[in-house]
Amino acid sequence: MASKPVLTPKLIVRALLIGAVVIALTVLPAFIDSYTLRIATGALMWAGLACAWNIVGGYAGYISFGHSAFFGIGAYTTAILMQSNIGASFFVTLLPAIILSIAVAVAIGGPTMRLRGAYFAIATWAFAEMLLQLATVLDFTGGTAGLSLPAYLNEFFFYYTMLIASAASFIGVWLLIERSRFGFRIKALRDDEPAAESLGIRTNLVKVQSFALSAAITALFGSIYAYWTTYIDPYSVMGPEITDQMVVMVLLGGLGTVWGPALGGVLLWITNRYIWSTFGDTVIYLPILGVIIALVVLFLPNGLISLIVGRQRGKELISRILGKL
Amino acid sequence: MSSASHKAESPEYPPLAIESVSKHFGGITAVDDVSLSADAGEVVGVIGPNGSGKSTLFSLAAGGQKPDTGKIRLQGIDVTGWPTWKIARTGISRTFQIPSLFLNMTVRDNLLAAAVEGDWKRARERMESTLEMLEISHVVDNLASELSGGQQKLVEFGRVCVRDPKVILLDEVTAGVHPNIRQIILDAIQRLRKTGITFLVIEHDMEMVKEICDRLMVMDQGKVVAEGDFDTIASDSKVQQAYLGRT
Ligand SMILES: Nc1ncnc2c1ncn2[C@@H]1O[C@H](COP(=O)(O)OP(=O)(O)OP(=O)(O)O)[C@@H](O)[C@H]1O
Ligand SMILES: [Mg+2]
Repeated sequence: MASKPVLTPKLIVRALLIGAVVIALTVLPAFIDSYTLRIATGALMWAGLACAWNIVGGYAGYISFGHSAFFGIGAYTTAILMQSNIGASFFVTLLPAIILSIAVAVAIGGPTMRLRGAYFAIATWAFAEMLLQLATVLDFTGGTAGLSLPAYLNEFFFYYTMLIASAASFIGVWLLIERSRFGFRIKALRDDEPAAESLGIRTNLVKVQSFALSAAITALFGSIYAYWTTYIDPYSVMGPEITDQMVVMVLLGGLGTVWGPALGGVLLWITNRYIWSTFGDTVIYLPILGVIIALVVLFLPNGLISLIVGRQRGKELISRILGKL
Repeated sequence: MSSASHKAESPEYPPLAIESVSKHFGGITAVDDVSLSADAGEVVGVIGPNGSGKSTLFSLAAGGQKPDTGKIRLQGIDVTGWPTWKIARTGISRTFQIPSLFLNMTVRDNLLAAAVEGDWKRARERMESTLEMLEISHVVDNLASELSGGQQKLVEFGRVCVRDPKVILLDEVTAGVHPNIRQIILDAIQRLRKTGITFLVIEHDMEMVKEICDRLMVMDQGKVVAEGDFDTIASDSKVQQAYLGRT
């Protein structure tokens, strides 16, 4: 499209800000201990996961309650392929993980995304639950005992891998949603599907594309996570809290915004770690998630990001998406 | 240009031909064996009492709903039963009786979204000229949800213009708007019809109908009860009965 890039002061400030964040994130590991580095690595991962969920939940407006399935598909694909009988190297496992997650997303999204959002929400939830149960009984997933991966104990490697994956996700989403035709298609269908169709937009296709993209990014993080933790079991990579956390992070940061999920992801993950280190477990964490959802929906429909950038959009977006259910 | 597409655009194929379409909803026959053909640059008014099937007829033509029987042709191409997006890309565009803007998007993005499946390189240019034609340049960065009812109608009308279709269906696009905005829409229709765009307009405002429509089709209870120019229709007893007799 013939858009003329104009260097307004606002754009320059924004570019400087993003540059500063990138530099800060790049040099961060030099200044923190290994415990904090692990938290930072986790924060990058959760920011990326929230970004992924937001593509289908915030932009297409289809609430997925089954994203843990894609995280698990990524984790198990990498773990299985890295077992000594196959012996694939880590980076080689990423492609099959992504392809498998896309295939599954198309198989689930194809039929259910033609229907109202409630069918999709239930289908994704049921599928994730089924996959979780399967992983506990199948042999090649190691059953409830799970799988161990070859240990690669280099925290810097995982920090920078997560950083690159997360940055690529955000830049990719920004380019795709804010700077390309795909963004108009997806936002149009979210806001008014019959109107979007009447303008020639192939809504069912765009919805499935968005779900597949979202699933692929989620699986990518699952793969990295499995290699990072060196041990996975069904609940650690497919438990429903993984999805819960993604949903709350997006709502907290700003549904359907580019940078909101990053903000929500980082803040909530730090909160999670703080509670864990202070109280020794995370039992009170789930009620906190519930309270956050209620407060955000009622008082901050556009999330924390709306306090920093952009204007208030009122409650239209969140009620539109919840209304789709 | 291939001979096939040349033939499809020649005068023997009208831009829009509705052939004996019917649509039932449960026990109701919303549209009952309706036929209508419109030529390039023609403005055809569709009038009739509430619930007579006008909007349903538009949905059948634009693909939002499938006819139970009958056919829809665009430039001679049988598009009956095609998905809505595909019919839309064949060159038809519509507004909705219930405003259907993308409320979380700006006016600019609403118009650009309309151009997304067309000539994208010229999208911005088309958007600018539409903004100018409809005199809404000053609200281009407003969210659609922040607009007044009349402005929303204008943007919805703008969305169909940006697409550059061959046939435009307007479902009560001037209902409840200020006379100034109504005039802007009227002028735009007059201007676009000269470029060969065909219009079907559903209107309850008889002054407007008289001013812009070349001919009228009157519906009642799903059926066509009269056809002709404004004066013929105005003196038709069946029409008077349809409008006055059942209230
Ligand atoms: N989706 C639907 N399901 C069931 N019935 C419908 C549906 N759409 C329209 N109808 C019925 O079909 C008939 C025609 O409705 P339609 O909206 O086409 O009328 P209209 O001429 O546009 O009326 P108005 O002037 O009030 O807009 C009405 O009886 C209506 O109740
Ligand atoms: Mg109507």
